[in-house]
Amino acid sequence: MDTAIHLPEKIEGIKKRKSRRSKDRKERKRVKIFSGTGGKVKIDKKMKKLFRKRAREYNSDDDDDEANPEVGEANTRPLEEFSVGNSSEEEGIDGSDPDAVEEKGDSEDEGDRTQPGITKFTEGCRAFRVAFMKITKTNVSDNSLGPVLSAQKRLIAKKLAEEEAEWKSKGDAKKEKHLVGEKGHVKPANFLDSREKFLISVATKGVVKLFNAVNKAQNAQKGLNPSRFKDAKALGKRQKEAFFSELRKPSQAVDPPAKGDDGPAWAPLRDSYMLTSSKLKDWDKMPETTVGNDMDGIPLDSSSDSSSDDD
Amino acid sequence: MARFHNKKKAFVKPVVKKQSVDHVTGDKIPKSFVFSRGKLPSSLRHLEMDLRKLMLPYTALKLKEKKRNNLKDFLNVAGPMGVTHFLILSKTETAPYLRVARTPQGPTLTFKIHEYSLAVDVAQSQLRPRCPPELFKSSPLIVLSGFGTGDQHLKLTTIMFQNIFPSIDINTVKLSSCQRIVLLNYNKETKLIDFRHYSIRLQPVGVSRRIRKFVQNHQTPDLRNLQDVSDFITKAGYGSESEADDEAATVNLSSDIGRVNKASTKSAVKLQEIGPRMTLQLIKVEEGLCTGGVIFNEYGKFIFHLGCSLMSYYKPHGLFNGALFLFCFFRKSHLDRLMALSL
Repeated sequence: MDTAIHLPEKIEGIKKRKSRRSKDRKERKRVKIFSGTGGKVKIDKKMKKLFRKRAREYNSDDDDDEANPEVGEANTRPLEEFSVGNSSEEEGIDGSDPDAVEEKGDSEDEGDRTQPGITKFTEGCRAFRVAFMKITKTNVSDNSLGPVLSAQKRLIAKKLAEEEAEWKSKGDAKKEKHLVGEKGHVKPANFLDSREKFLISVATKGVVKLFNAVNKAQNAQKGLNPSRFKDAKALGKRQKEAFFSELRKPSQAVDPPAKGDDGPAWAPLRDSYMLTSSKLKDWDKMPETTVGNDMDGIPLDSSSDSSSDDD
Repeated sequence: MARFHNKKKAFVKPVVKKQSVDHVTGDKIPKSFVFSRGKLPSSLRHLEMDLRKLMLPYTALKLKEKKRNNLKDFLNVAGPMGVTHFLILSKTETAPYLRVARTPQGPTLTFKIHEYSLAVDVAQSQLRPRCPPELFKSSPLIVLSGFGTGDQHLKLTTIMFQNIFPSIDINTVKLSSCQRIVLLNYNKETKLIDFRHYSIRLQPVGVSRRIRKFVQNHQTPDLRNLQDVSDFITKAGYGSESEADDEAATVNLSSDIGRVNKASTKSAVKLQEIGPRMTLQLIKVEEGLCTGGVIFNEYGKFIFHLGCSLMSYYKPHGLFNGALFLFCFFRKSHLDRLMALSL
């Protein structure tokens, strides 16, 4: 009767557990597929019991007396397991006592039957629990420098000082690099000192000379129309004369820094300025050729012949 | 949305689209590249930019240089574009250096830059800085002074700098287009060359300050305290101290320049500094483009070796060259020798 009653429960339980376990099994199967390892096949606890039962039945010589208590035991065991299974579901510490009781009971039974590779469900449960509790108890400190002791502060200060020194050296190196790059760069003064004034005056004189020369040259040609050929010749002549006379004049007004040179100070005025060949030295004494509007730099005037001997 | 990136275009994007031959003088217009070799600190990069602006309009203002470009790349581009001079900036631990070289095989002058000031520094030091953009539409004039007697390297320097800027023809040049001037002054004792860059301004002389300012600034004057307009015009204001001493700086203009400077009236020439300021020292002269035999070495033996190839690059320039030799003296004998070699 008992058995009959219990069996359906057991079957239900088994069914329940099977359904639940089947999920696990499927998951485990999936895991097994992915990992691809030929690991040890985990046998369901219930199935283990079943196997054992079958093995016993097969092995036993079948005394009814032996069989009965064994059957009874077999029956009680699943009961116990059922209760144990429930307790384990609840994660209960409550199950510890029945565990302990069952352990003893089981150990008596299983003493002569060793089945390697299959750990007891109860033992496995307890071990896991114990390990888990141990882990949750330990507590890793946050401080990477070491335990919080009196030397902690000194350690921190040292590290900070090191970092600052590093930054400082980098900053110094950058500054030095910048200084080397700026070498020679000078900001000019706000006022004009004497040197600058002198330079400006030199430049001004040059400009004035040029402008006056241009003025003369362009004024002289105002009357003449450059498109007329006859005028054009006269134009050319007049330009050259005007230009040279103009340039010769102001050379004395401006005092050249002491050079021991004779002859006109200004290079183009000298007879031999840009004289490409000595043949042309006295060209104006040679037979007359037409002087076109050719600005080729053949020096003109014979009046400067006398001063041709310099140096 | 740039779908197609401009890959691997030529690294040089010049702005110069001018004619290569001057229509007036018939000479080839010299063009230049200003670039740097090696990594430059930021102030030297500003100096490079200032030098580019100085050389306008005949230079590539937005020249793009990559790290992997060598001198050969620049030379290859210079040929077809008609670029005649290179100005190369570089830096060592001691000082920055400026090399002025004539392409394609011309000599190279190496200058050590002792001191430099950028254009922005100069503008900051002035009370009223002046830099209108029209200044850079025409080439500057160049004035070389103090280079004096016949040292070969100095002569070379003068010739080189004269040829960097295009020559002007005084018969046709418009005075309004001469707006900038570059000055190179050589100091014999210290052997340093002062490099300055000025802007030219013309001011009518003989006009009282008030009227001049009024005409130039178009600002209505304050007549509150005056009885009559004639008071404003005839009031004797004191002239600034600079007006007194430039009798030598007055010019008779041949044409009208601007609104205020009329023809055949006296005008004063006023220079104001713009642009970079440098103190240079000539260190080395080499025969080739940064290669070749060393003709002059400040710190070595003086080798006065003039190859024919060297001097043939100095064709005698036209008489009406924009460069003015002030106090520049050439010994006749040296000149003859130079010219004979160029035949």
